Amino acid sequence: MKFATRIMIVDDEEMICEALQAWFLRDGYQVATALSGPEALRVIEKSPADIYLVDIKMPGMDGIEFLSRLKQLQPNAVVAMMTAHGTVQTAVEAMKRGAMDYFCKPFDPDELSLFMERLLANKALREENSALKELLTERYDGFSEAFIAHSDPMRAIFAKIEEVAVSSAPVLITGETGVGKDMVAKAIHFRSDRSCGPFLAVNCGALSESLLESELFGHEKGAFTGAVKARRGRLEMADNGTLFLDEVGEISTKMQVSLLRALEEKNFLRLGGSQPISSDFRLISATHRDLPSLIKENLFREDFYYRINVITIDVPPLRERLEDIPVLADHFLKRICQETGKSLEGFTQKALSLLTEYGWQGNIRELRNVVERAVVIAKGRMIGAEELTFLNPRPDAGPIGAKTLRELEIDQIKAALDLCNGNIVRASRRLGIDRSTLMRKMKRYQLDR
Amino acid sequence: MEHKGHGTTEKSHINVIPIGNVDALAVSVVAANLQSLMGLNAARLPKHPDPEYAYLPLRSQYAAGAIIKTLESLDKGARFNLGIVQCDLCTPILKFVFGESQLGGKAAVISLFRLQDKDSSRVYLRAAKISLHETGHLLGIAHCHSRDCLMAFVSNVEKLDTLPSRFCSACKYEISRSVKHLFG
Repeated sequence: MKFATRIMIVDDEEMICEALQAWFLRDGYQVATALSGPEALRVIEKSPADIYLVDIKMPGMDGIEFLSRLKQLQPNAVVAMMTAHGTVQTAVEAMKRGAMDYFCKPFDPDELSLFMERLLANKALREENSALKELLTERYDGFSEAFIAHSDPMRAIFAKIEEVAVSSAPVLITGETGVGKDMVAKAIHFRSDRSCGPFLAVNCGALSESLLESELFGHEKGAFTGAVKARRGRLEMADNGTLFLDEVGEISTKMQVSLLRALEEKNFLRLGGSQPISSDFRLISATHRDLPSLIKENLFREDFYYRINVITIDVPPLRERLEDIPVLADHFLKRICQETGKSLEGFTQKALSLLTEYGWQGNIRELRNVVERAVVIAKGRMIGAEELTFLNPRPDAGPIGAKTLRELEIDQIKAALDLCNGNIVRASRRLGIDRSTLMRKMKRYQLDR
Repeated sequence: MEHKGHGTTEKSHINVIPIGNVDALAVSVVAANLQSLMGLNAARLPKHPDPEYAYLPLRSQYAAGAIIKTLESLDKGARFNLGIVQCDLCTPILKFVFGESQLGGKAAVISLFRLQDKDSSRVYLRAAKISLHETGHLLGIAHCHSRDCLMAFVSNVEKLDTLPSRFCSACKYEISRSVKHLFG
């Protein structure tokens, strides 16, 4: 997608930089310029480009030297050299150092157009090659969304992921709903030496206690009504891999005891079973809840907490990393356009401002939802403010940070019960959780029917 | 004396300015097309002097950028200034251009030099297409990938002649959104 392709022009002649910039902007690219090699290298450190057009003859660091230095920083950079005084020798030297193409200015408009098409095709091939390599090593491509970030908080998260991946210590990932805790868990798994093993995820908030027990520990045939055959549980299936317990804060204290025993002894029984089963897995847990507060309220066991929380990774909400919103939005736009066959180039400045000013209580999940909706209703080539008019602050939102997550959860439960006239089954469906989970929360928050 | 497109007293959105000796009918055709296809009130201004300040002896051509800078500094009441020249235009990076404009800016220039043909109606049609394309850039619209749209990039007159005299539905929507945003 041209809109997302960044070109950097490196030429000591300001007029050339301006003219090329104007041309490429009209063609829909993002363009940066630099009047010297050192200036370009400084810019690249913070914001690398996808394609570089580099003048060969520049005072101080010439284009060939710049090319060598660039390739050290960015081995996959697509680079084309340009000059007003072409010689075969410089062309050969440039290609040897990794330049993709070489051309003389000024160009025929046809030549420039074809030239850019070749560069873009080359870039696309490299990216496809990279993606195919990822597929071959069975990495989960979906977790790329967690890593589309330029902000400092997320860079710190990436660094922490690299650190913790090499150990087998249990990790607790905290953060609001929709920030991508599951993506972080997958990233840790696929960067660890367990990456060839399975990654088993269990959403503890979506299952009733009895179902969760069966899901985790498995059962033998006849263990309960309906158990027509034996079934392996997730603890068993995660052997030599990673077990991810999502929404671990929703587990009952009774279940926490069973799990704690299994984690400490590294073996357990299936429901209705008598044969101990061993499983060597790495545990990663995630929650949006404030576990220390739950411990104080006796709703979460302190011993279990310390067992699952050797390392903590706190994923920041989207509103604390606003600089990531444009790149995330662009990523979702590309994806959704591919899925729907629609052709949109990007967001207008006004649209980006609206996206950046919005509160994003639903975080990345909500952002994807918003982009998808905007794509469906878009009629032009860009998503503008008109396509985001539905992006109104929620009436009950209040100022950001005014309510705790617990208070927000209580509000949502009350609202659902009001809407469903106190009917718990309907209210639980509306909230997207199990009836017994809702009843447990109502009891916890002392909410009357 | 200024000539409004339809002789109305509405404020002009774009001034069409012949620079040097330019076929007056070409200027009228351009103004009419800007009005009908883009909904812009186009005013035809009196002829400006030849752009000798923009002449590049080494290339025997005129620098489009220099002409645009001059047009940008003109304040004749309209948001945009579109210059039309008869001479051959170039930029530092391109051997020639049919037209040049500032993306989302104030000024653009087109040249009739490479649009010449025995059939004068073909010349006027080419001039109209280039003007509409460059004005699209002034409204902030980048090149379109659709080959059936006036915002597609064309590098020679043969390709220009195959372009239809219309924008695709997506570019049309963007143009109308931009015009509405700028002029209400």
